[in-house]
Amino acid sequence: MTRLLVALLLSLLLALPASAERLVSQLSNESIEITSSFDGERMTFFGSIAPDAGSEQKFVTGPFHVVVVVLGPTQDRVAREKTHNFGIWLNTDRVEFDNFPSYLQVLSSGRLTDITDVTTLTANGILPEAYTLAASTADWWKTEIFSRELVRLMGEEGLFGIQENGVNFLSDNFYSARLTLPSNAPPGPYVALTFVFKDGEVIARKSEGFSVRKIGFERFLALSAVQQPLLYGLICVLLALFTGWLGGALFKR
Amino acid sequence: MQIYLPIAELSMNLFFLVGIGGAVGFLSGLFGVGGGFLLTPLLIFSGVPASVAVASVTGQVVAASTSGALSHYRRGGIDLHLALYLVASGIVGAVFGVAAFDLLRSAGQLDFVISLGFLVLLGSVGTLMLVESTRSLLKSRKGVVVRERLPNQHNWIHGLPWRVRFKKSRLYISVLPVLVIGVFIGFVGSLLGIGGGFIMVPALVYLLRVPGSVVIGTSLAQVVAMMAATTMLHAVQSQSVDILLAFCLMVGGTVGAQFGAAAGKQLRGEQLRGLLALLVLAVAIRFGFSLILTPADVFSTEVLGGAN
Repeated sequence: MTRLLVALLLSLLLALPASAERLVSQLSNESIEITSSFDGERMTFFGSIAPDAGSEQKFVTGPFHVVVVVLGPTQDRVAREKTHNFGIWLNTDRVEFDNFPSYLQVLSSGRLTDITDVTTLTANGILPEAYTLAASTADWWKTEIFSRELVRLMGEEGLFGIQENGVNFLSDNFYSARLTLPSNAPPGPYVALTFVFKDGEVIARKSEGFSVRKIGFERFLALSAVQQPLLYGLICVLLALFTGWLGGALFKR
Repeated sequence: MQIYLPIAELSMNLFFLVGIGGAVGFLSGLFGVGGGFLLTPLLIFSGVPASVAVASVTGQVVAASTSGALSHYRRGGIDLHLALYLVASGIVGAVFGVAAFDLLRSAGQLDFVISLGFLVLLGSVGTLMLVESTRSLLKSRKGVVVRERLPNQHNWIHGLPWRVRFKKSRLYISVLPVLVIGVFIGFVGSLLGIGGGFIMVPALVYLLRVPGSVVIGTSLAQVVAMMAATTMLHAVQSQSVDILLAFCLMVGGTVGAQFGAAAGKQLRGEQLRGLLALLVLAVAIRFGFSLILTPADVFSTEVLGGAN
């Protein structure tokens, strides 16, 4: 009987996690509005790591690492390679990437490889390669080659990037991360995935959404171009004819 | 000052856009060409998606050519009858050109065909014009009188059937070469995203022997009508006309075109053609290099389907 009790107690003790943390986080903007003067937008992600609700703990002990992954709306993309044929450079090889994120920024509080191993990073979609592998429609060898190049090209356009000093801890358990969304960030739904790491393990995670959308006149123009293409085209032509005529009329001596 | 372009989905400097519009507008007023062959590559190089650049430049070309066409019209420098034939056949060509554009884009060979097309067209047209204009410049230096029209130089084209009288151009020629030129320019123009003025002007001068007084006006009138139709085609089919981008370019372009037209009056026809030839050749060489030289990056990426 006593042995049974001891066993029960032991199993209860084991079942209780050594520590239970939860993540309380917030975004500075829930929607980013594109107006005529839109030239990118600064965002702040902040939060704190607190003891889990219902746990006995009064405080959390670190050290913690935080990784924030910001993902843009998905698109179908193609990567092409030029080769030298008969003295001319031609696009000869291509790989399509379906449902590939249009934007990906990884902000972390330290070197990603110091935070955890590559397998965990890939499994949680922290490394860009995780998305290229999932989206590729080609065999693995071509995928390998084109993935690396696609990530590099997206980085050159400012759409992909890793900032390993992007998250700052203001205290032991309070962090903030700053991100400047570029002006060529595609409009649509975005998601920010926040991971809290301790000793290489994910101990808490949270995802939050925000949207980038055109408002006002920009939204009206973009909608008209799609919904009333004939009228839109006609107005473009009339505007052009009028501008041309006006220019001529104003400058006529 | 940055301005957000809602269809291109990026922001650009307003003064840069008005500036390149103005610079290209000056050249288009000077030479009587639309300027699309300069503006489209410039925009693509600045980061505007190729489909948006091509479609929006067609709108800008309408504006840049309108003021020129109107001032030529007032001076009686347009053969409307001839322009009508060219436009009607040009629209037929444009429909095929837009179809070819879509086909090549999905095959990933669009930039190759554009480079090759610019190289062949601009290269041959530029060389021809340069040779001709230098020859006539040298002749006029020596004091030989060069007449605007050379009556004894009727070529085989003038012997074709279905002749029509174009009063203003003082021509009585077959409609066949006129229609062929129209279809060809419509096709090439919509495929390469250009107005085709730089092909039209020499074609009218050397093939049809249209007198110099109506060449530029007629070419401009044809460009206005053709580009207006192409803008509509792009707006309906690819929905990639960025009206704000086009408007910024238009404002610069129309102002530039006025100064260009004024500067053009200071120069003689042969000099103008010689300068245009040099400009056209320079662009051809630039495209030639892009085919032959090792590209800075052999990899490229593009979003499939529309920008949205």
